[in-house]
Amino acid sequence: MKYITTIDDKEFEIEIVDEHHVRIGERLLQVDFESVNGQPVFSLILDGNSHEGFVYQGEEDWEVLLRGQQYQVKIEEERERRLRAAAGGGIAEGGEFHLKSPMPGLVVNVAVEEGQAIKKGQVMIILESMKMQNELKAPRDGTVGRIRVKAGETVEQKQTLLSVH
Amino acid sequence: MFNKVLVANRGEIAVRIIRACRELGINTVAVFSEADRNALHVRYADEAYLIGPAPSRESYLRADKIFEVAKKSGADAIHPGYGFLAEREDFAAECAHRGITFIGPKPSSIAAMGDKGKARATVIKAGIPVVTGTEDVGNMTNEDLLRIAPTIGFPLLIKATAGGGGKGMREVKTIEEMPMLLDSARREAESAFGDGNVYLEKLVEGARHIEFQILADSFGNVIHLGERECSIQRRHQKLLEESPSIFLDEDLRAKMGEVAVKSAQAVDYVSAGTIEFLVDKDKNFYFLEMNTRLQVEHPITEMVTGVDIVAEQLRIARGRQLSYKQEDIKQRGHAIECRVNAEDPFNGFMPSTGQITHSILPTGPGVRIDTGVYPGFEITPYYDPMIAKLIVWGETRGQAILRMRRALEEYRIVGVRTNIPFHQTLMDSHRFMGGQFDTRFVEERFSMDDAVEARAASAEIAAIFAALVAHQQTERNANIVRRNERDTSNWKWVGRWERMHR
Repeated sequence: MKYITTIDDKEFEIEIVDEHHVRIGERLLQVDFESVNGQPVFSLILDGNSHEGFVYQGEEDWEVLLRGQQYQVKIEEERERRLRAAAGGGIAEGGEFHLKSPMPGLVVNVAVEEGQAIKKGQVMIILESMKMQNELKAPRDGTVGRIRVKAGETVEQKQTLLSVH
Repeated sequence: MFNKVLVANRGEIAVRIIRACRELGINTVAVFSEADRNALHVRYADEAYLIGPAPSRESYLRADKIFEVAKKSGADAIHPGYGFLAEREDFAAECAHRGITFIGPKPSSIAAMGDKGKARATVIKAGIPVVTGTEDVGNMTNEDLLRIAPTIGFPLLIKATAGGGGKGMREVKTIEEMPMLLDSARREAESAFGDGNVYLEKLVEGARHIEFQILADSFGNVIHLGERECSIQRRHQKLLEESPSIFLDEDLRAKMGEVAVKSAQAVDYVSAGTIEFLVDKDKNFYFLEMNTRLQVEHPITEMVTGVDIVAEQLRIARGRQLSYKQEDIKQRGHAIECRVNAEDPFNGFMPSTGQITHSILPTGPGVRIDTGVYPGFEITPYYDPMIAKLIVWGETRGQAILRMRRALEEYRIVGVRTNIPFHQTLMDSHRFMGGQFDTRFVEERFSMDDAVEARAASAEIAAIFAALVAHQQTERNANIVRRNERDTSNWKWVGRWERMHR
């Protein structure tokens, strides 16, 4: 079975050939993969190189913790992806993005206005929480849609603050 | 002499204090908020009492509730830890009033060092160097400050007299922008400390933040345990500390230590305390402030000196003499502490909340971890985002760095994002290795770009991990479906099998 995995916008094509082999791109690698006693801890020996990782399902994607680094991994079966592409869906490039509050807190400043064009990484809202001020940034270029909060308002976790389209 | 200590704090520091008490055979009383029912400090203490809802002003800051618990439990001493009530003169005074031993300095010392303006005036009188600034104490108006500013020179800092943690602090480059900055500094100080009073100080450029640990008993013995290098900061929050500092030589260390001792003596100090200095490029040093409490980063001093600072605090509070003389104190090897916070370094150090589902601590030679979290622990927005202090010791600074690298790799925290990748990148940074950094280093000359590259190198492995686990799951689901399909006809199979064997 073939999987398309995406990490930090980079795609890896991984084919599970059989229980002891995976193919990544053109390379065929020998795999010894064990789950450690019911925990989400896995031991992977890849062509003799030993790796330990935590793998668990996050809210949408898979999360992998490897040597102190945490990776968010999106996985699609190649077949599914092909079907979806055939259906004309493709990956939703446009679409609306809702900026949600990552934690409960106090909106200190709304740095954008409705209808304003914004660049990826631009600060949109400053949220105070855990005694710190945090900058919530735009995940991509776009236009600010509806703003649902004002400065001085307290917000709950996952509350939608504004939309970008 | 007391026999039961109430620990008026939470998290790792409460655990640290309880451990010291345990070792000395002293009973402990924990207090906890509704959010901390399952916390380690509750589980490790001999007694534990609920004092209110999660927000600290309704629980850990409620002196009245804490005194109620002291009375109910018969605790005859209170250790305040750091933060919360640790540097509140009125709280220390109320302890004395109730006949409870406050494990810390006298109320008068807290007061003298708590107001930064007063503290400056006090140490200046003792002949201790301070950064040039407004010497006058009391409420200075904006007009006064604007008049004095040019005589101090720009750039300068506006600081809150009640200050701490960078709140109410503003950097001023020109006189034109000063009135506006004064207003905003006062506003921030007012909201943070309920006191909008500010003073001015010359900005020391390229400065390092180096502090000295002090121990003083009630017989007038004051010693220092050497320095801690705390220049690795972000937004005035320390992220990493090490001891000794690569920047000090024996001579400067002795000189600064002497001044630190003198500063503590100037306020008749008792218990553990810390004198913070700014050290400029030319190795001139200036008194910055005194923290009249146990510090977060005290373990690195313990690692290099072998002194158990909390145990000494308890000893001093019990009216005994210090166990050490200045000449007994030797720094051996090198210690580094990384503050592991629930913050995402790839996303502007955004705090990350959630449940820690797994936590596997690094161990092995030279590693110490002070933490209050455990699997199942919830990182909430109510308290600070520190998960743990990871401390390592090495024979040399180089060995300590290598060991820290190894320990950071070994540390597995699942459920929230942590700043471990930041520390890993720092350990790999040539400037850090070379000791070339000041308090602006992290904000101005450090980048996570190298980390992004290192990340990319291991991304493929992460992808394989995820694909294998996802594949296993798909297979398992498929098997369940298949078995169900066959189950419907199993009776038929059994019938045929039995007929066959008849």
